[in-house]
Amino acid sequence: MSANIKMEKVIRLMNQKGLNGLLIYSRGVSNMLSPSYLQYLAEFRPMGPRNAAVVTKSGEVVLMVDPPWDSFRASSKTWIKDVHGGSDFVKDLVGLLRQLKLSGPVGVVASREMTFDVYTAIKKVVDVQKVDDILEEIAREKTERELEVIRKVARITDAGAEAFIRGVRVGVREYELVAELEYVMRAEGADDIFILMSSGKHNNEMHEPTDRRLREGDVIIGEISPGLEGQFMQLCRTVYLGKPSPVLHEKYDILLRALDASLAAMRTGASASVITSTMNQVIGEAGYGKYCGPPYMRSRGHGFGVGSIAPGAELTDKMQARLERHQVVAVHPNQYIPETGYLACGESVLVTDTGVERLSKTETKLYVKER
Amino acid sequence: METMQPLLKSGRTAWDRINMPVEEFHERVKKIRKEMKKEKIDLLLLYGNGFNEYGNYCYLSNHMIRLPQGGMVVVPTKGEVTMMFEGAARGLPSVRKMTWIDDVRPSGDVAAEFVKYLTEKKICPSVIGFAGLRRLMPYHQYQFLLDSLAGCKVIDSDHLLNEFRMVKSRTEVLQIRRTARIVAGVFDFVANTPFTEPTENVLEAAARREARLEGAEDFRMMILKPSEKNGAFRPTEERPIKSGDWMIIYVAVEFERYWAEAVRTFAVKESAFAEIQHETVKTLYENILQGMKIRKRMSQFYKETRAKIAKAKFEEISDYGMGQGIGLSVKELPLIAKEDRTILADGMCLSLRLGIRGKELGTIMIGDTIYLSKAGPEVVTR
Repeated sequence: MSANIKMEKVIRLMNQKGLNGLLIYSRGVSNMLSPSYLQYLAEFRPMGPRNAAVVTKSGEVVLMVDPPWDSFRASSKTWIKDVHGGSDFVKDLVGLLRQLKLSGPVGVVASREMTFDVYTAIKKVVDVQKVDDILEEIAREKTERELEVIRKVARITDAGAEAFIRGVRVGVREYELVAELEYVMRAEGADDIFILMSSGKHNNEMHEPTDRRLREGDVIIGEISPGLEGQFMQLCRTVYLGKPSPVLHEKYDILLRALDASLAAMRTGASASVITSTMNQVIGEAGYGKYCGPPYMRSRGHGFGVGSIAPGAELTDKMQARLERHQVVAVHPNQYIPETGYLACGESVLVTDTGVERLSKTETKLYVKER
Repeated sequence: METMQPLLKSGRTAWDRINMPVEEFHERVKKIRKEMKKEKIDLLLLYGNGFNEYGNYCYLSNHMIRLPQGGMVVVPTKGEVTMMFEGAARGLPSVRKMTWIDDVRPSGDVAAEFVKYLTEKKICPSVIGFAGLRRLMPYHQYQFLLDSLAGCKVIDSDHLLNEFRMVKSRTEVLQIRRTARIVAGVFDFVANTPFTEPTENVLEAAARREARLEGAEDFRMMILKPSEKNGAFRPTEERPIKSGDWMIIYVAVEFERYWAEAVRTFAVKESAFAEIQHETVKTLYENILQGMKIRKRMSQFYKETRAKIAKAKFEEISDYGMGQGIGLSVKELPLIAKEDRTILADGMCLSLRLGIRGKELGTIMIGDTIYLSKAGPEVVTR
């Protein structure tokens, strides 16, 4: 979607809501679970703790960034022509609202990221209307460019998964393993990475890497999620270090079947709730129904990016939303099973009219590393 | 210096109780309670969030939130200290490994959890001190707290933590030294490693791996290429590094919650990075450093430094500041700035950055983490 089309949509939705302007805020965090609305609009990843874009009904757009010297980077990245680096952000933002003659109802996106001083200052000038949904609605439709980036992220994820599987060996510490796969993915072009993992005979959760050294007989689980230009992908894999018991194979197979069944139920227009309900049904039929809820599992998956399905939240069997074409969804029957501990198994897929397209080329299976 | 915030702090997560003994936290609680008594504060809230601003919360808890969420420590005048963090209950076992506090409460919203805490403990404080809340807490949570505490007197207690955090204990200085060694190691690695046709991203990835393998919990790197139009510090990109490039590299590392940072200027020759070692600049830097003395006001040090740069007939690069305190935050008080009247004290850890331009010199930046004691300033990142 070109910037012009994006802006046309923004202005149309502003008019529909009777807004005189729109302020999109960012505290400089662009996280997989809380994507930056400002990054989506400006096509620039903010850095400092306070950044905002202001849009008027006539289509004027101004971007303000903090720290001031980041305005050079911002100018070279964003399509927005008018970029300022404010030395006193709150004062400058209020000044900008006045300069653009904005008053009355003004939509604010990402107001939850604002601190007391920012919010109270703008509230003195305009009538704040919280309208995150404006950008979420526009962002629902993935552009060709976004799909291109997602496919690149998929290749980076594959490189990361390969490094993860290759790096598992007796004696290596958890943080050393993560250092290697982070290196591989960054060198491949990821601009950031989200990694959780765990190792042990019986894992209970995934966490940040610790000092623990991998040992023979460990189950090593990892959630590998690189990001690039605001797009993300996630892969969950399990590696066994040694010769696994038939029980581990048998239990992991339940997760594989749950994943396959969920993916088979997904297509444009299908209820998003089927992802969780199908998965839980397979796991329930295998005798683990009572483990299909916290604290034995955290989430059956989630969407990625602004306006994606269940952004920042989790897929549940109660959700009303329907899957839409070209949504990117992480589907993961990650599950605690009493005989094996927590196991990781998950894919990211692109929703299509006929089903889903698996974005990763890394085989979905229980990986075994024998000494 | 400001840097890009990560998606998640994905480096080594550990609490080495030899490096940071639990007694250190008991001592901090004692000091804080003494001040609370002086200021007649019944309950003190220390708030921190995100990747850069966990300092106040971590100062007492040793815990850091690894996602862009909030955490709060509640200190009553006596009895148990309580810690609240925004995250799922299933994360509790990991969180407990990082803190000495027994009463740890996961929550979706620390402000709401605090109100629950007051009801549960049947506490009705008359004076509540807020440290970090007004500046950092999201507006909706802050307003909820103010509304819920309508009968209490809320006072700003930022100064209380600022003062304690500015002067480091011996244990803290040792932590900063450990971190500083990683920073120095990264620069040694850059200077001593041949890179074949590297891109900026590959250089960053390799430097990051070095730091991670030494235990870095967080790693930040920015570069500045003076030859670029409007050249300013920025994250690395998928761009080639060419022989002849002149590159200023900023690195900040966090190890077991404590930060250190440094800046170096390199010239790229074929596949090697050679640090620019200009005698005049080295002498100026050393001269500036020797001016950093205890009992001097920051504003005075700032003024003297600017005068020294001018006397050397260099143009000063002031965009990134001359430096600041460093510890649990990469950027904390005091600031090396005109307005900062703080008196330099024994035990402070500071970041010093010298950025200059000269006709024949080009653009050079040099900077280090400094430990200031009665013996004078000591560079810990070399």
